[in-house]
Amino acid sequence: MLKVAIVGCGKIADAHASQILRIGGCEIVAVCDREPLMAKQLYERFPVRHYFEDLAELLAKAQPDVVHITTPAETHYNIARLCLEHGSHAYVEKPVTLNAAEAEALIALAEARGLKLTAGHDDQFSHVTRRMRALVRSGYLGGPPVHMESSFCYDLGDPAYARALLSDKTHWVRRLPGKLLQNIISHGVARIAEFLTGDSPQVIAHGFVSPLLRGMGETEIVDELRVIISEERRTTAYFTFSSQMRPTLHEFRIYGPRNGLILDQDQETLIKVRGERYKSFAEKFIPPVALASQFLCNLKTNIGSFLRRDFHMKAGMKCLIESFYRSIAQNGPPPIPYREILVTARIMDSIFDQVASKRLPAGSEARVCEERMLVEMGSRGR
Amino acid sequence: MNSVASIIGPHDLILVTGATGFMGPAVANSLLRHGFKNVRAFVRPSSSVARLTAVANDRCEHARIESVRGNLLSPDDCRMAVQNASVIIHLATGGDKSYPDAFMNSVVTTRNLIEACRHQASLRRFVNVSSFAVYTNAEDKRIDEESRVGAIGGDAYTFAKVKQDELVTEYGQRFGFPYVIVRPGSVFGPGKEAISGRVGIDTFGVFMHLGGSNRIPLTYIDNCADAIVLAGVTPGIEGEVFNVVDDDLPSSRQFLRQYKRNVKRMRSIYIPRPVSYAFCRMWEKYSDWSEGQLPPVFNRRRWNSEWKKARYSNEKSKIKLGWTPKISMQEGLSRYFAGCREAQGA
Repeated sequence: MLKVAIVGCGKIADAHASQILRIGGCEIVAVCDREPLMAKQLYERFPVRHYFEDLAELLAKAQPDVVHITTPAETHYNIARLCLEHGSHAYVEKPVTLNAAEAEALIALAEARGLKLTAGHDDQFSHVTRRMRALVRSGYLGGPPVHMESSFCYDLGDPAYARALLSDKTHWVRRLPGKLLQNIISHGVARIAEFLTGDSPQVIAHGFVSPLLRGMGETEIVDELRVIISEERRTTAYFTFSSQMRPTLHEFRIYGPRNGLILDQDQETLIKVRGERYKSFAEKFIPPVALASQFLCNLKTNIGSFLRRDFHMKAGMKCLIESFYRSIAQNGPPPIPYREILVTARIMDSIFDQVASKRLPAGSEARVCEERMLVEMGSRGR
Repeated sequence: MNSVASIIGPHDLILVTGATGFMGPAVANSLLRHGFKNVRAFVRPSSSVARLTAVANDRCEHARIESVRGNLLSPDDCRMAVQNASVIIHLATGGDKSYPDAFMNSVVTTRNLIEACRHQASLRRFVNVSSFAVYTNAEDKRIDEESRVGAIGGDAYTFAKVKQDELVTEYGQRFGFPYVIVRPGSVFGPGKEAISGRVGIDTFGVFMHLGGSNRIPLTYIDNCADAIVLAGVTPGIEGEVFNVVDDDLPSSRQFLRQYKRNVKRMRSIYIPRPVSYAFCRMWEKYSDWSEGQLPPVFNRRRWNSEWKKARYSNEKSKIKLGWTPKISMQEGLSRYFAGCREAQGA
């Protein structure tokens, strides 16, 4: 029986506890929050053996095999480090750390200790994403991806989160280097990172505060972001984050030399886009029918998953947790390759650096742009 | 000014948390009407104080409403807010849909507030404003202050409110903390257009009328505010719980008929109680069986609490607080419907 602990008893901890309970061969031995009332409420609502307000005490007394870290991002590194040093495997919620250097250090520590670590990129394990991955691996694209487009939007109209964030100038999200972006975009960036082959892709980012937030007096929270990511002479990608765009897309498009795929995370639909074209007017009539048929197939698949009681909102999280526990039990590779975690972190670092530098005082802005142009010209020259 | 028997003087400081919410301005107004002249409103940094300012402007004769901005999750902000307060009326609550968020914004905040004030010499009373949602109504046909309270099966708000009441009671028992709990029924009035869930729900695109002949435990906002103020200052009621519902409660059917006549025509389908009970039971069982694929938003706890037939008593509030609803039910409903029409026209 795998002994599991959860550190941080806020909203996402509920999702973890619910999904862990659906997995056989494990039990939640302890939960921990530095606010004892929060630890106690989770303990009271779920079958949990003990609750703690001190992580060191939890590690010493409960001796968990795995610790799920669901605290604010700024604490991930220190907590994960402590858990790994104690000999526990670590599932770290997204964003895994504040920067790539911290992620590298944690991965190095896990490997040195013979332990596993994973990041909470659970969207990567939703039903529809697994179907897409299987198609890509089967060679449907006709070769390595040529181009990808990942849209990961966020509706700031969500009252609970937005109100807390906008009204509280000391909110923990504001203390993150990438602020709101850092807390949200890793799911969308990880989708791209999965299909890149290099370790350090080039990134060009443009971010700004939306007119809506500016009108509310907000100057720090960048909620509009457009990014171009490229690997030299190979795959390119666009990443879009927007709080204002409607619909609030969570979509991924991947195009190969022969075919493409369009994944809609919200609707859990996966559409194959054929590269070949029909002749003349047939192109106007046959593809719409084929598309309609594909949507119907997606509907059938989704209903089937629902009837099989396997269509929970956090089904991806359950799959990721199960895969992670399996990798621990069988000493197999972790469900998310460490390279993918690091590439995601590096892309995010680069985005936040660029967004921050563009938000320097007016006088310094021209110089930054000039420097960027020189860097870009230099890299083209190479 | 209405003078009442009071544990504090007219110039003693009264702190109101959640002061910019639906109830806050009405409570501030009632305090000033009762002759209390020193009110501190604790508000979120981003909240608009326009409605509070309007209250202060209307009743500015030798009275002051001071606004203090802060976050109840911050112990420092709480200490700042409670300084010199004689009575604390704690309206602020977490209406969040997730259990941890609702709990944090109801229970952790209440703990912070109590910890900030419990050693304060000036403090005479802490009024914890709770809710009828805490009553399970599993066995009772008459809901009063002795009715059973429970969190099991309740939604996030119910869970948080039950735990908040437990926390306050525990402080009272362990430390002699001077508290009173007020549990309003369904508070209505201009500024809150939503129809109480006890009447029905429009989750599925058409208004499903679930209340039928049930009496709806309504309390008009100004009447409720008066009861809260009286609970804050009436001598000799430490540790007591008070339910607040008005007189002449309409049935759900009567309420809906008047709403359609006075606000807007809308389609509704009456769901008989046995059918709604069966639906809630089936939903609950499916939720269990499917390991939460559909969350148990409809369950027997909710049915008992919201749609089971019950009678409601306000005797204790009338006797011990000397409270009577000043605004009649018909007048309250007229004002509410006018507010709804105005909001829809806006």
